Amino acid sequence: MVKEKVILKNETGLHARPAGELAKKAASFKSSIKLNVNGKVVDAKSILAIMSAGIKYNTEIEIECDGEDENEALAEIVKDFKNNFGE
Amino acid sequence: MLKGKGVSSGIGLGNVVVLKKVERNVDKKTIENEQIEHELERLHMALNEVAGETEAQLKNISGTEADIMQAYLMIVQDPTLITETENIIKNDKYNVEYAVEVGFNNVAQIFQNMDDEYMASRARDIIDIKNRVLAKLLNEKNVDLSNLKPNTIIVATELTTSETAKLDFKNVSGIITEIGGENSHTSIMARTHSIPAITKVDNITNILKDGETVAINGILGEIYINPTPEEKQKLLAIQNELNVEKLELEKYKNEKTVTKDGTKVHLYSNIGILKDVELAIKNTAEGIGLFRSEFLYMDSDTMPTEESQFEVYKSVAEKMNGKEVIIRTLDIGGDKELKYLKLEKDANPFLGYRAIRLCLDNLPLFKTQLRAILRASAFGKIEIMFPMISSIDELRDAKKVLEDCKKELDGENIEYDKNIKVGIMIEIPSAALIADKLAKECAFFSIGTNDLIQYTVAVERGNEKISKLYTKFHPAVIKLIKMAIDGAHSANIICGMCGEAAGDPLFIPILIGLGLDEFSMNSNSLLKARMTINNLEKEKCEKITEEVLKMSSAVEVEERLKEFKAN
Repeated sequence: MVKEKVILKNETGLHARPAGELAKKAASFKSSIKLNVNGKVVDAKSILAIMSAGIKYNTEIEIECDGEDENEALAEIVKDFKNNFGE
Repeated sequence: MLKGKGVSSGIGLGNVVVLKKVERNVDKKTIENEQIEHELERLHMALNEVAGETEAQLKNISGTEADIMQAYLMIVQDPTLITETENIIKNDKYNVEYAVEVGFNNVAQIFQNMDDEYMASRARDIIDIKNRVLAKLLNEKNVDLSNLKPNTIIVATELTTSETAKLDFKNVSGIITEIGGENSHTSIMARTHSIPAITKVDNITNILKDGETVAINGILGEIYINPTPEEKQKLLAIQNELNVEKLELEKYKNEKTVTKDGTKVHLYSNIGILKDVELAIKNTAEGIGLFRSEFLYMDSDTMPTEESQFEVYKSVAEKMNGKEVIIRTLDIGGDKELKYLKLEKDANPFLGYRAIRLCLDNLPLFKTQLRAILRASAFGKIEIMFPMISSIDELRDAKKVLEDCKKELDGENIEYDKNIKVGIMIEIPSAALIADKLAKECAFFSIGTNDLIQYTVAVERGNEKISKLYTKFHPAVIKLIKMAIDGAHSANIICGMCGEAAGDPLFIPILIGLGLDEFSMNSNSLLKARMTINNLEKEKCEKITEEVLKMSSAVEVEERLKEFKAN
């Protein structure tokens, strides 16, 4: 299992389009991918779970990947967060 | 042959699709352990079918529509939703239909409770998908209005606005409804898209069956079930005549709108939804004289945001490519209600809390729209029009709110057209009577004849028993139109008209005679209006107008105008 912390820099928070991007990306990996945020565990493959978590700007998120492609998954998702999902 | 009221002309031949509201009963049943596997299998089959259909739809669409479908696809495959539903089958041991009902509702509830319009819309998506999944499980036949087979004749009790908005017009050959009038939304939409339509046909949703062949004549309101070769022949001949007329009209596509003796007028289109812009452009509209913004509000389950409105206004302005686009601010109340705006029932809605009255009383709502319009004005030639103005104070108050919005945008460094024109609808007799005063404080008028007639002769348009009294040929109506135009010209501002009367070849000579500057109508009436205008002489129109203004009865006026047109 691998983990890394990121801080959300999308001003409108993690909803709408970026949530969709994240879920799509997460679903493309075999590993289980979770977000630990404000004491909650969120399934990153579920757009509904991500959106309903209401993650706001400047929130710290710990990404946790577990499975055969965990390193690649973590790297890709951290990269997306750092790019603000292209916004 | 059956008979109804023809509300949109043309001949339609095709196969029936009956839209019936299904009463759905989702039974709650407990299941045995050995059934669990089977119920789970059924769940996944239904989900896969819905996902497959959505993927297929995605291939044919783009833009916002595609974004919505993309979100649908993600939701129907969402692990949270699926796990929630599976757990109800596996742990609570209920049948799959009940599990879908409860599981999807639970997840939708989470979104519903979030205080955010975007999230609330996701709740609606989840419920929409739930209904599609349940329809599969219960083997209901679900008509996808946006994806019809060619030559479909839609048969319904009544079409709602949102159903009409979804309609796959290119494949609809005709519409038959049980309820509705000449000016109901379905009728107007049908005319806009040149689809023959018949209304007031009792029990038609039970008489006609899916797949049956039907021919309709939208001019006479005739319906032929399984038409004989002779009947088809007869209808085909009518269709040919209509085609010849259409060809004749095509010639006017490249012409300016100008009378024989050189008076130029503006010929504009009325639109309701974004799709209508294409039709306006196809029919060579010289601008948009009326953008009925209420459709944006009526097609939404929640209050449309500034952003979503901005996108639509901007898109219309860009598509019109520098041509004038007059956006009428929210005209709701009366006959058009909004589910998310809890309005008290008015004893007399047309004289009640509606349009500008409602907007001035709900500033956040009004400002959201004005800001969206202002922002869009940076991308084209947008103008603002206030509906239902009855006094000068309302105009002043509305303009003050607009100024406030401009200041807000200035403060936020957001661009907009600083010289944006502001005009008003003249649709209440009191406004026509003080037109000269109102003209000094705005940049243009647009006469809304449908309401002006109804308020002048005190006749509700929808009431068939008194509809004979509803006529634009009433001398009082013509007098008020004259006052509005004269009032506008006394202050050197433009006067237009955006009611159906502006496109009536019989009425156009009077409007030319009175000096109307701008004619705005359904895109389909545009070429016929241009043909009419281009074959008129202003001088002759002025003479007939003078004559008509002396008359005392509507019948007399109408007869005289028929005679004028015939010569």
